[in-house]
Amino acid sequence: MRIVNPTFGVSAAGGEAVAVKPVDWRTDAVAMFSNSKPNARELLEGIRARLADIRSVDNIEFVHKNSASQPAPAELIDAVAGKYKGALLAIAD
Amino acid sequence: MTDTPETELLDIPDGDGEAWNEYALKQGWGDGMPLAVPTEAAVEKFVAVCRGDNQPFAPISPRQVVPTLKSLAANAVMAGCKPEYLPVVLAALRAVLTPDYNLHGTLATTHPCAPMLLVSGPIRKALDINCSSNCFGQGWRANATIGRALQLILLNVGGARPGEMDRATHGSPAKYAYCFGENEEESPWTPYHVRRGFATGDSVVTAMAGEAPHNINDHGSTSGDGIMTTIENTIAQSGANTIYGKGPYVVVLGPEHAGTLHRDGWTIESMRDRLFEQARVHVSRVSKENQQSYAEAGHVPVNDHYKIAPTPDDIHILVAGGPGKHSAWIPSFGGTAVPSVRVAGG
Repeated sequence: MRIVNPTFGVSAAGGEAVAVKPVDWRTDAVAMFSNSKPNARELLEGIRARLADIRSVDNIEFVHKNSASQPAPAELIDAVAGKYKGALLAIAD
Repeated sequence: MTDTPETELLDIPDGDGEAWNEYALKQGWGDGMPLAVPTEAAVEKFVAVCRGDNQPFAPISPRQVVPTLKSLAANAVMAGCKPEYLPVVLAALRAVLTPDYNLHGTLATTHPCAPMLLVSGPIRKALDINCSSNCFGQGWRANATIGRALQLILLNVGGARPGEMDRATHGSPAKYAYCFGENEEESPWTPYHVRRGFATGDSVVTAMAGEAPHNINDHGSTSGDGIMTTIENTIAQSGANTIYGKGPYVVVLGPEHAGTLHRDGWTIESMRDRLFEQARVHVSRVSKENQQSYAEAGHVPVNDHYKIAPTPDDIHILVAGGPGKHSAWIPSFGGTAVPSVRVAGG
């Protein structure tokens, strides 16, 4: 049986796939990315403190979007992708 | 969901209706209820209705792909629409793709919002969209399938899968379908879409990322002032998302409440002003922790009260429903807008 694909769409410009390089979580610069929900910062600070057991944390930095209800701007995502090898995201609540 | 090849046409195993539904649900294409088969012939009937609508669509979040008319029509077929419903579905999609609607945020949130679709203008009658008794409920094909078609588009083309990119804590029954018509015939005021600048003869879809309707019961008040007191106190809730994020909301007046309000001289503007001033939450009803959290986000009380709507213009009032002493409050997600889009050809 032939049907029209209900998921079909054309990728938007700029949505091309990029090669993901492996991250060394013991040494690489990492971003702690907050969704700006209450307690997200506290959660990420706790993870950063735990990571201190296995690595230096002077290259782990906090990043946040401006509003919990809005998606992260493309410029912010680009900046994080350019500066850090990995990112840990606080999502949901 | 299984991986689907990125082609507009798919050859899938032959089978009966049950086999088709098993297949479709296994692909992650459905909402749990049976789906019609989007054959090429069925889709073509829908596309033919919209041949003249060549306005391109923006990419749909969160997957960020641009749909084709055929893939949109396929979802309308699956939802059980008639071909003539498709222009309304497309207008609804254009409304939620308006940047200020914040589609990505409203789909990815933990809040239980769904795209509420209000249809105004002559197409309500042409398509038999229910504007009267039980207008939010079951029983009308147009209401049920237009709302469902948009949800399937957001699921299948947009990729808003429950538990994945749709992160709602509980979700809502409104996520199956949420479409109703304005009861212009029993409204004592100018139709909603005309107040927004459209012509009386235009057919218009308005969208808001809203919770399911909250009932406003008032059998006892015999004055407009009494009904307004009940409405404003129903809206003033400390658990509303709009106290946390601020944003628009919709008040759907039942025709009987509307008649009493109009008799007593209430206008749309005076009702909006009254609700803006009085539908507020006193700080004593907000926890200390939340007061601190809101302050950190820049939301501070005014005269010891938290506002629910940013301005009177963010309060949208219209008439729908049938006989009975009920109205409804539809709170929004918060960080969203209420766009209206004219139905092409409508």
